[in-house]
Amino acid sequence: MIRRLYVNNFRCLQNFELPLAGQSSVLLIGKNGSGKTAVGLALEILQRIARGTNRVDDLAKPKDLWRTDAPLRFEIEVELQGKIYEYVIAFECLAGFKELRVLEERLAVGGEPVYTREAAQVHLARIGLEPEREGRFRIDWHLVALPIVQEQSPVDPLSIFKRWLARLVILRPVPSLITGDSGRETLEPNLQVTDFAAWFSGLVAYAPAAYGKIDQYLKQVMPDLKDIKNPVIGKDSRNLVVQFANGQGTVSIPFEDLSDGEKCFMICAMVLAANHSYGPLVCFWDEPDNYLALDEVGHFVLALRRAFQSGGQFIATSHNPEAIRRFSDENTLLLYRKSHLEPTIVRPLSELQVSGDLVGALIRGDVEP
Amino acid sequence: MSVNQYLPHVLVLPEDDANSQLANGFTLDVSTRQIQVLEPAGGWMKVLECFESDHVRAMQSCTPRYMVLLIDFDGVPGRLNVAKNFIPDHLTDRVFVLGVWTEPEKLRADLGSYETIGMALAKDCREETDTTWGHDLLRHNAAEIDRLRDRVRPFLFHL
Repeated sequence: MIRRLYVNNFRCLQNFELPLAGQSSVLLIGKNGSGKTAVGLALEILQRIARGTNRVDDLAKPKDLWRTDAPLRFEIEVELQGKIYEYVIAFECLAGFKELRVLEERLAVGGEPVYTREAAQVHLARIGLEPEREGRFRIDWHLVALPIVQEQSPVDPLSIFKRWLARLVILRPVPSLITGDSGRETLEPNLQVTDFAAWFSGLVAYAPAAYGKIDQYLKQVMPDLKDIKNPVIGKDSRNLVVQFANGQGTVSIPFEDLSDGEKCFMICAMVLAANHSYGPLVCFWDEPDNYLALDEVGHFVLALRRAFQSGGQFIATSHNPEAIRRFSDENTLLLYRKSHLEPTIVRPLSELQVSGDLVGALIRGDVEP
Repeated sequence: MSVNQYLPHVLVLPEDDANSQLANGFTLDVSTRQIQVLEPAGGWMKVLECFESDHVRAMQSCTPRYMVLLIDFDGVPGRLNVAKNFIPDHLTDRVFVLGVWTEPEKLRADLGSYETIGMALAKDCREETDTTWGHDLLRHNAAEIDRLRDRVRPFLFHL
């Protein structure tokens, strides 16, 4: 669970801290351009580092900096298996250079460093080892160290943190691009979930009982669902087919032919099953209400909120009245910017004075910090 | 409606955001789609008017439907009777009037966030206790809660 996310000098996020401690689900609201999606982009940079992208230029560009004369900085503090992990990375933009480089990097567990880095110098401080066994090495300034520092074992703090961060689920689905084809398996879906079928294959291979969770949720939403099949259709490739049945008969529908909203139900089922099978996960879903019928939005949001109460963290953004109403003052954060020349500020709704109905106040543009 | 029309289900019509958040907490503790919180009506009288204009006819044709009208009593002893007068005789078994004796803000000051209170109220319903329903600002609901428990507990809590 994320306790703290701090971002400085990234797009509109200047000295920005997202207060997430103790929240199993959080809603980010705010006008267009207020910085909600930028929070997801910041998390995506950290996720991509853990998934193996280590070239700084592939993660951030000088144009992503609010000011080029100050470092771009990300700090994330998470609680995993009862321990506090803190990862910090800062990039700098030197005058005359087109590419950012690493200024500082650090991973600590319970306040003890796993490794620290300043510019090119990396210092491995293996917890429990004698000082003389600690390691130092140099690394290209344009490479992030986290993906390349050797893990000692699957229970090594470095492994635990990297695996958790790599499995951060950041979703901005584009259903029309999602097909049922897969040629591989993954537990790390991409932002647009175009690899849905690979995620399905990976999850069911990793934890076959996960299919039960998927089926349980989907049958509540689509009572005529019979099953989902994922047959082999060629060398190393599979294709998802969804079967529906009622008293009148059975029909098989290729996954890509489901409606956009139905594909979102499938993604929701995967999130619930993934959190149960290889969580606790953090899921950031940018506008989960997109593509859904009005009468489904509340159930959809509540299903996610309910599931993450028992572990993990669900972070959503929304402009949808029904989605907004399914959160409450203590778990709704307002992001606000006066203009494009000013950075985002964030305030818990519980600290704001909103007169009358929140949705009405948002429609009137009356919700300001 | 996404709540299955053919299954028993509860629609909650809250007076305002505070009551809506209480209901959110309740639904977070209930693992079913057979409960849905509607848009806040904007006042206790508007809840009653909205019920009368939008829901009475629908309830006649949708027999598995139950409704909870969630209003503030504002410390007025006769408010329950006023509310009951809006409920046609043939629907009294399926409509319940609940709410905080004064206003939810006072309950929040005593018991924590609205969602936390809502979850505690659901727990009471599931476990047939009155830890939270017995609070000074809620215990006037006892008779309505008894009626409600008899009818909705089995399908909301899968008992």
